[in-house]
Amino acid sequence: MAVSETVRGPAANVSANSPDGPPNRFRQAIPQYAAVSPFFILFAIFGAFPVLFSIWLSFHSWDGIGTMKWVGIEQYSYLLTDPSFWKSITNTLIIWVISTVPMLALALVIANALHNATRFRTFYRIAYFIPNITSVVAVTMVFGSIFSNNFGLLNAFLQSIGLDKIEWLSQPWGIKIAIASIVAWRWTGYNAIIFLAGLQAISSDIYEAARVDGASPRQMFWRITVPLLRPVILFTAVTSTIGGLQIFTESQVLFGSSGAIGGPGDGGLTIVSYLYDSAFGKNQFGYGAAIGWALFILIVLFSVINWRLIGGNDDERLTSRAARRVQRRIAAERAATGKADADAGKEHADAH
Amino acid sequence: MAVTRRRFLGLGAGGVAAAAGLTGCGSRSSLGGRDELSMWCWTGSVNDSLIATAEKGIAGTDKKLAMTRIGGDYKTKVLTSLAGKSLVPDIIGINDDVATYFPNADQFHDLRDLGADKVEADYLPWKWKLGITPENKMMAFPMDTGPTALFYRRDVFEKAGVPTEPADVAAAAPDWDSYIQLGKKVKAAVPGSAITDNITSIFSYALAQMPKRYMTAEGQYIGDGDHIRKAWDLAVRVVKEGLSANAQSGSTDANAVVTNGRLVAFIGAVWWAQLGPKNAAPKTKGLWRVTPSPGGPGNRGGSFLGITKYCKDPEAAFAFITWLESAKNQAQSFLDPVLFPSTPASYTDSRLTGPDPFFGGQRIVDVFADSAKKYPGAYFSPYDTIIGTPLSAELVNVEIGSKSSDQAWKDAQRQINRELTRAGAI
Repeated sequence: MAVSETVRGPAANVSANSPDGPPNRFRQAIPQYAAVSPFFILFAIFGAFPVLFSIWLSFHSWDGIGTMKWVGIEQYSYLLTDPSFWKSITNTLIIWVISTVPMLALALVIANALHNATRFRTFYRIAYFIPNITSVVAVTMVFGSIFSNNFGLLNAFLQSIGLDKIEWLSQPWGIKIAIASIVAWRWTGYNAIIFLAGLQAISSDIYEAARVDGASPRQMFWRITVPLLRPVILFTAVTSTIGGLQIFTESQVLFGSSGAIGGPGDGGLTIVSYLYDSAFGKNQFGYGAAIGWALFILIVLFSVINWRLIGGNDDERLTSRAARRVQRRIAAERAATGKADADAGKEHADAH
Repeated sequence: MAVTRRRFLGLGAGGVAAAAGLTGCGSRSSLGGRDELSMWCWTGSVNDSLIATAEKGIAGTDKKLAMTRIGGDYKTKVLTSLAGKSLVPDIIGINDDVATYFPNADQFHDLRDLGADKVEADYLPWKWKLGITPENKMMAFPMDTGPTALFYRRDVFEKAGVPTEPADVAAAAPDWDSYIQLGKKVKAAVPGSAITDNITSIFSYALAQMPKRYMTAEGQYIGDGDHIRKAWDLAVRVVKEGLSANAQSGSTDANAVVTNGRLVAFIGAVWWAQLGPKNAAPKTKGLWRVTPSPGGPGNRGGSFLGITKYCKDPEAAFAFITWLESAKNQAQSFLDPVLFPSTPASYTDSRLTGPDPFFGGQRIVDVFADSAKKYPGAYFSPYDTIIGTPLSAELVNVEIGSKSSDQAWKDAQRQINRELTRAGAI
């Protein structure tokens, strides 16, 4: 408010009315630029510069102290033939899928319950959000003792009901399940709150109309709630993907002190933990930077896939290609069925 | 109101220039005030009261010490500071991976130039050598050491009907073979007993007894040699005999096997007494004993001090280091935080020779001092971490049953070859 007043204030009017010619628009805007500049200056120093430097670094071999040695694309070609790197990608994707899918489904159910809850709503909202603001290190340590091989709570429970114990933190799948459950524990409540916000934005008129038409609760959920929540689901899916591809702290806390950062058999080696180990464990900073850029490409790739899967079919977000596809279909229908039918077809396509 | 592209680029360039200015290229200075010597160490690496004395004034100089205890990723912070070439501490603590700093030894003062030769005789010869680069530059000064010995539960040994007194245990298990037989007897009598927390401990401690490790001083890779394979096979054998608790290091299980008494014997370094039984199982006070380890004396761990080339007063820094690491003060550091001296003269200091009630009143210093003096010493290369990590990781694969020993060995060697080739070591 204060900024816009400055523009319209008397000083601006004076210069605009002065006979010396048109006002210098940039000079007028200097206070605004000055006001927003701290962010850009800080971003340039702590954001843009490190990003650009890491590109530069990824073409070098550097141990952190001595001189940097130019090696061209050697880091990247080593990366592509590095079994540990591919293992870290597979691990990350598996952990991502087995954490994100149940997490988002559960979050939607919880959000629905919260939306319909009549008593203690604030309490439940806070209760579901608390895991997210709990220190991930503390959470991981607790989960570490739950999943612990010999003396873990989970194994004690399994044995008490007559089952064999499972070496959660030694077997590749056990490790992934343990990490995925930490991730799910932390983020389910967070996503539920986001979903809840989306639910509350849906007008109750639509539900009332559906109820009048005799829709069952299940139909209302699948035909109204889920489609109208699509932008919110897209948001949670994209943020979960970005978060899921960057899983690090969990495996770091579970196994970090043991030397092998991925745990037994590298079952918990994620992309970021491999990056961290390469750069800060083995002091191969150039290689670490190369892994970072590979991770960046992966995240872009998966965000695009998410967008296509969840957001891309939305009528309001039709890409030009999809619009042309509809046009072609209409034209084809028109050609096939004659003009009268084609008009109906057009209406049909519009109604979609 | 719209920002023109040229203006935007101009602003961006200004920001980058500001960033370059902030990183302070060219201004080579050390951290701290003019009358201060700055020092970085990790928590628990020095005796607090000695540091407090030096903070009031370093004897024989006009400087005071400004000590910072760095938590978390100590080495990363040190490297970051060295890479910045500015505000580097005058003195830094260096862990037993001292050799990984050797390729950058030009960042440190040669301590011989400062008169280190005069005090050399006071220190364990093998420890002294570890701080010297292959180019014969003395980069790091000895702090504590990590001599190894056999810890065991006297009460469990008694129950199992095997020798119980330290001298008798040492006589009954002079080498790994007889030690494994002893472990099997204990396990037969007390089911569940283990002589190691996991497979990598056996490998590391067997390696810690050897006169050579992964590389020769000439830079030749010998990590695929018979001596490494022997330690490897020994570790696999202990697991196959069922004498490992399969509690991987870093897991909560690793402490639990000490707390609940599964781990009845362990070849460990001197610092394990504190990290292991004293912390994890205080109720076992009086039940533990220490005796020379089967397979001979060894060393694992121990640290160093280096003077960076940014140091504002190397003579004063050297005076401080020699004072802090004198036999008298190293003896005090043994009391708190339990650092084992690298100065043999400390071993007869009354502060070390007192009976330790946790070990049933045994004079444990005698056992470790003997191990420290007889340790053959081995060459640590800058690449030991790169080589050691795949070996331990593959050993874990053997223990959890996901690979055969031969396959794991092959995979580890392939991985090491790749890494060493890239690092330019072979």
